[in-house]
Amino acid sequence: MQLTPDDVVVFTLAGWEVNATIVNTWIVMALLVGISMLITRNLRPDVPPNRWRTSLEVIVKLIQGQIEEVTRNSARHVMYFAGTLFLFIALSNLMLVIPGFSPPTSSLSTTAALALSVLAAVPVFGIASGGVGHYLKTFIEPSVIMLPFNIIGEFSKGISLAIRLYGNVMSGAVIAAILLTVAPFFFPVVMDMLGLLTGIIQAYIFAILATVYISSATAEPDSSAVQTQSSPPESKRSTHQEEKS
Amino acid sequence: MSIDWITVIAQIANFLVLVWLLKRFLYRPILDGIDAREAEITRRMAEAGEAEKKAQAAEATFRQQQKQLLSDQDAVVKQALRESENQRDSLLAEAHAKLEQEQTDWHKHLERERQKFTAQLQRAGEETLLELTRKALRDLADESLEEAIVRHVSARLRPIASELADAAGDRKEAVATTRDTLPEAAQALLQTDVKSLLPGINLRFETAPQQAPGLVLRVGGARLPGRSTATPKNSTRC
Repeated sequence: MQLTPDDVVVFTLAGWEVNATIVNTWIVMALLVGISMLITRNLRPDVPPNRWRTSLEVIVKLIQGQIEEVTRNSARHVMYFAGTLFLFIALSNLMLVIPGFSPPTSSLSTTAALALSVLAAVPVFGIASGGVGHYLKTFIEPSVIMLPFNIIGEFSKGISLAIRLYGNVMSGAVIAAILLTVAPFFFPVVMDMLGLLTGIIQAYIFAILATVYISSATAEPDSSAVQTQSSPPESKRSTHQEEKS
Repeated sequence: MSIDWITVIAQIANFLVLVWLLKRFLYRPILDGIDAREAEITRRMAEAGEAEKKAQAAEATFRQQQKQLLSDQDAVVKQALRESENQRDSLLAEAHAKLEQEQTDWHKHLERERQKFTAQLQRAGEETLLELTRKALRDLADESLEEAIVRHVSARLRPIASELADAAGDRKEAVATTRDTLPEAAQALLQTDVKSLLPGINLRFETAPQQAPGLVLRVGGARLPGRSTATPKNSTRC
């Protein structure tokens, strides 16, 4: 049984073996970019939007709303990053239902790459927002004693992101493959439908956690302590409600 | 479960390229389009608000003008009523004045007609009376009226002959005026009497159609019959 598409070499380019993970990633990227280009090629403010443009606007505004709810600001660069994470992971996971297609997210290399991107983006956005001193100061909060734990926690974020996404998607694909051999008519369909739901949830969790990490690094010093203690969005929403009240 | 680091690097590159591509072809066009449409909607709402304000202002102006027109119409109607009443009063007053003038003229005309008729009646009566007198004299006394008048004048001249001579002074002519020409016999009789009573004075006869029937004799400053201011003794009318 193939557990990762990294082992499937599709073709070799100048001595470099291009595996199925990369090729499938290109397919997902081509779908995302191609659909976006088709829909947004002739946008005019005086022309009412059609159903496709409206669908894209709904998706983009939904992503923007979720990010604004977490970060409490409307910075577009965070949305470019987290939104792309969500769309890429969601479409990859949805393509799980296509027979013979291995989602790129079922590769630990892909999830590790995405997690490394998040790990790199957190200090980049944090330094760009408040400077190097402010970002480094977050490692010694609430006290200097917490410095090693914060460093470990920072790396564990990436590891947890990568393992969580890979485990869920890979397990779904593996379970579907096993059930396909055992009971090929009913259970694989049910598991694939469950895999669609799981894929969307995992994409949402991955993007939201990335947003939370970035917002923690870019938050003001007074509120950063509160935000670092409440990484899940639900606890962050409750914090917002408490501040409003 | 292993990590292919070359694939990891390639996936990081793919992801960064995907971020750039989606930013270029998805997020920016969609968000800019939404912003532009919101701006367009805001602009149209502002234009609609301006148009509504203009419409409300125009409606207020129209209502004000309508109110002013109604007020002006009432004023014009009242003015027209006042003018028509004044004109009616003026026409009635003019008609009353004209009617009174016509009544006055009619009364004057009636008075003139009455006077004329009275004068004609008096004249006719006088003529009739004169003719009756003449006929009575002719039938009863076989004498004409003029001869009787001449004898009456002659009879009245005798007592005042000296006074008439004094009144004649240097004048040598007396004038006898009648309405109709005296017959030859009457003229001769009067001529004879005047010569006998007033020697040296010639008598001349004249007619005056406006004069009443009778005879008026003028001798110098004396007149017979005399006027109301003249001496009764010096005037005789028959």
